[in-house]
Amino acid sequence: MKKYLALLMAALMLFAVTACSSSGSSDPSVAGRTGFIMGIDPEYPPFSYLGDDGSYTGFDVEVCQAVCDYLGWKLTIFGVNWDEKLVQLDSMECDCVWSGMTILDSMKDAGYVISAPYYDNTQVLVVKEDSGFNSSADLAGKLVAVQLGTSGEILLNEDLADLAATFENVITCDSFLKCFTELAGNSVDAVFVDLPVAASYTKEHEGFKIIDEQLGAEQYGIAFRSGDKALCDAVEKAIAALVENGKYAEIAAKYPDIVNNLLFLND
Amino acid sequence: MSLMTMIVKMSEGLGKTCAIFFLTLLFSLPLGMLVALLRMSKNKILSSVVRFFITVLRGTPLMLQLLAVTYGPYYLFGANVSRNKLIPVVIAFSINYAAYFAEIYRGGIESIPKGQYEAATVLGYSRFQTFMRIILPQVVKRIMPSVTNEVVTLVKDTSMAFTVSYQEMFTIGKQIANSQTSFMPFIVAGVFYYLFNLVVDRVMGRIEKHLNYYS
Repeated sequence: MKKYLALLMAALMLFAVTACSSSGSSDPSVAGRTGFIMGIDPEYPPFSYLGDDGSYTGFDVEVCQAVCDYLGWKLTIFGVNWDEKLVQLDSMECDCVWSGMTILDSMKDAGYVISAPYYDNTQVLVVKEDSGFNSSADLAGKLVAVQLGTSGEILLNEDLADLAATFENVITCDSFLKCFTELAGNSVDAVFVDLPVAASYTKEHEGFKIIDEQLGAEQYGIAFRSGDKALCDAVEKAIAALVENGKYAEIAAKYPDIVNNLLFLND
Repeated sequence: MSLMTMIVKMSEGLGKTCAIFFLTLLFSLPLGMLVALLRMSKNKILSSVVRFFITVLRGTPLMLQLLAVTYGPYYLFGANVSRNKLIPVVIAFSINYAAYFAEIYRGGIESIPKGQYEAATVLGYSRFQTFMRIILPQVVKRIMPSVTNEVVTLVKDTSMAFTVSYQEMFTIGKQIANSQTSFMPFIVAGVFYYLFNLVVDRVMGRIEKHLNYYS
């Protein structure tokens, strides 16, 4: 009996060792790096989403792929749980969070290394076309949905708390798709979401419109763990090289909804 | 945000958690009995149909069932999604738990020896009387531990209502965790669930003791 127990323990230990070595690619040094794990929100078009062919794609994913090609790293894409993204980053499940992520002061305060911003984002309200709502003031006393863990949710709690107070309630969904399903099913009256997401959704689905009012400006960046300044620099440098050789603009051209707000192309 | 505000904010959601818990028990306990009786019906078609539904309900994740009940009517018929999320949540939970309770009841009922039915018939009890006065009281005693198991699981499962944006305690905890970049709300949630289950455990223990009238 004891023998079997010892054998079992040995097997477990072996498993633990191999489990550790498989995440060894998260080695903080840049020099010996062969792989790079990109943490994305898999449901965030056009920045990162599951493409028609079943693999992840989107603007951020394509740029990251180009960066990895440039640096000779093997890219692995890891879908994070968006409201736990920083915990997952800390626990080495990914090397960065790069997925239309809004730069927040709280992230910098917590010590994360944040890249230079690459995108100017604004938040908008999406309503049904036949609803008759034309401004945020029309939504007084109405229900508004927002995705949990997005900057929109934080805005409604902080900078736009006054606006949020005029709504009947703010509902938090765990994906923006659910927000839109709630809107389509009339259980909420508006969805508060990033402009590019709103633009791509309203283009693909009929019966919705964006209220022409830009609420809350913010910028997107890439988050790295606190010790990974060198990694961040390497990625930034690679992006700069891609901007230089035109590859960046080439990728951006595929995403007309966001191209106007890309900071590196509109300096 | 101080720990106190966190706790206060999360206890606001605790009411909604309790609503799911009590309403689900209220509906699923009797519904489970009905399902169990249909499952044991002599009618082959009826019992196999019920059996099929039980396999579906036990064989698919509760989270999926929640989504199906909440958003299914919209995707299938274009019906409006319910504004009061408590309704689809309680429906989904009740149906799911009824399937589990039904199998527990069935186990209990089938564990009673055939001889008791025969003896009751000899003594002139009708089938209904036999079931209500002789079989059921013994069944309730026997299945209590398994039922307690399910009830304890139900307390923790209420957190799944988050999938359909019902603002119960855990949803609020996640919101706070997210806006404060803090892990504390999860610890608070853990303590809340533990205390809730401690009460459940005491109450169920009391009931079991009460039913233990022969020893």
